[in-house]
Amino acid sequence: MAAVAVHQFAPCITCHAWSPDRSMVAFCPNNSEVHIYKLSEDKWEQAHILQKHDQIVSGIDWSSRANRIVTVSHDRNSYVWNYEGSEWVPTLVILRLNRAALCVQWSPQENKFAVGSGAKTVCICYYEQENNWWVSKLIRKRHNSSVTSVAWHPNNILLATTSTDGKCRVFSTFIKGVDTRDSKAGSSSDSKFGEQILQLDLSFSWAFGVNWSPSGNTLAYVGHSSTIYFVDDVGPSPLAQNVAFRDLPLRDVLFISEKVVIGVGFDCNPMVFAADESGMWSFVRFLGERKTSSTGPKYGSQFSEAFGKLYGQSKHGINNDGVDNSRQRGGVHENCITCIVPLGEAGSSTITRFSTSGLDGKVVIWDLESQQDLLEYL
Amino acid sequence: MANSLRLYLTCIRNTLEAAMCLQNFPCQEVERHNKPEVELKTSPELLLKPILICRNEAEKCLIETSINSLRISLKVKQADELENILTKKFLRFLSMRAEAFQVLRRKPVQGYDLSFLITNYHCEEMQKHKLIDFIVQFMEDIDKEISELKMSVNTRGRLVAAEFLKQFI
Repeated sequence: MAAVAVHQFAPCITCHAWSPDRSMVAFCPNNSEVHIYKLSEDKWEQAHILQKHDQIVSGIDWSSRANRIVTVSHDRNSYVWNYEGSEWVPTLVILRLNRAALCVQWSPQENKFAVGSGAKTVCICYYEQENNWWVSKLIRKRHNSSVTSVAWHPNNILLATTSTDGKCRVFSTFIKGVDTRDSKAGSSSDSKFGEQILQLDLSFSWAFGVNWSPSGNTLAYVGHSSTIYFVDDVGPSPLAQNVAFRDLPLRDVLFISEKVVIGVGFDCNPMVFAADESGMWSFVRFLGERKTSSTGPKYGSQFSEAFGKLYGQSKHGINNDGVDNSRQRGGVHENCITCIVPLGEAGSSTITRFSTSGLDGKVVIWDLESQQDLLEYL
Repeated sequence: MANSLRLYLTCIRNTLEAAMCLQNFPCQEVERHNKPEVELKTSPELLLKPILICRNEAEKCLIETSINSLRISLKVKQADELENILTKKFLRFLSMRAEAFQVLRRKPVQGYDLSFLITNYHCEEMQKHKLIDFIVQFMEDIDKEISELKMSVNTRGRLVAAEFLKQFI
């Protein structure tokens, strides 16, 4: 079985992040708090509750080197939490947003973080030593709709964003004094802050999760039309591939190696995509086992049955009436998976462990070691 | 169940399954708001194309989807005036108790008899397949209920008429 651990932390989880040593997990239980659980003797115990936001927390990222947590929320604010003594101390980041913040990610060098927002802008925040303050720089007027996801290129300069206008864009986020001009980063480091390197208009519908491959050569993002897009040679002449699949749309993607991508979404079951030798991407299989419901059709008789369905069973479905039911999706997860986080060693190019969280409130850890057929693709 | 009804309901079930991919999405236009986009319709890019499923002229189902909400509007078969008035009264009775149903809209969309509004919050606390089952079961039962009501009205009418006319024998 690919799922090695299942933890039911809350009724509903919007996003989660792991501490650098993977002994603690931070997640938002679909409200304005962030809960941090600690693993002590095979049991998860609540260690801290971060309360500062006043609307639902939409993004959490835990930096692996500096042990900092950044959270963003629909209340338009962002906090950077530092662990001092035995408490998490928040620092408010003035994002200068007038709409909800939707997603956040630390840059690979962890000197910046990017926040996507409902104000159709992206904020790049960096620390200013002299003022002891996180400063936010905005990329404006590029997105025509909310920014749903951001992803950093390994070179710490390029940032990919997806938006509900269906486009995926790549920006340069070079900030003087924070980044150094580096010949290794190639032409991407010559561009100014906020310059759009690339705009991909492949999707007819909203675009969600975006991710770079470990080397930064390939970019993957998903559209709401049940399609995943792979882009090679990000630059003036990109090579794009669309892979459409027959199941429900994805919400987030993760590269676990140069050749394998895991997608999670409304199908409640992680999907594996892989590239063959010629670089053609295709859908391989679902990662978890599917639950098969075996209920034969039976005709309902009274109206009260519909009432009963809504009241009694629909919330926590113990299925005993057997009326021609729709198929229950998923296996380990029972509701949409919204977040996928790698659990690999920093710097390694392949990841075999990752965790997912969804609206069913579970955090599931997946391990590919036992999946022989998938290891061949890595 | 008549064969055509089954096809109609299966079609609706499959459409709902694909359409009910909702997520929390804050309002782009108004600060700190989070409203069903399908009701406000402030940003056209957040709406999907509405789907109309018709069984015949009198029976149809409109499914409108947006990023965080879904609206299902039903038109129920009304063959004669009696059915018309029964449907109207019955659905009014249900709509007035919309809170108890959670997903029922208080007022139907214009041109339809009954509307449901499903938001991402419903999808978070209820199971999606159960929600779909509820809607489909509801549609299946409503015809049955109306014809049962009609039958009892007719039976009662006949009984009352018979009782009344007895005095003239």
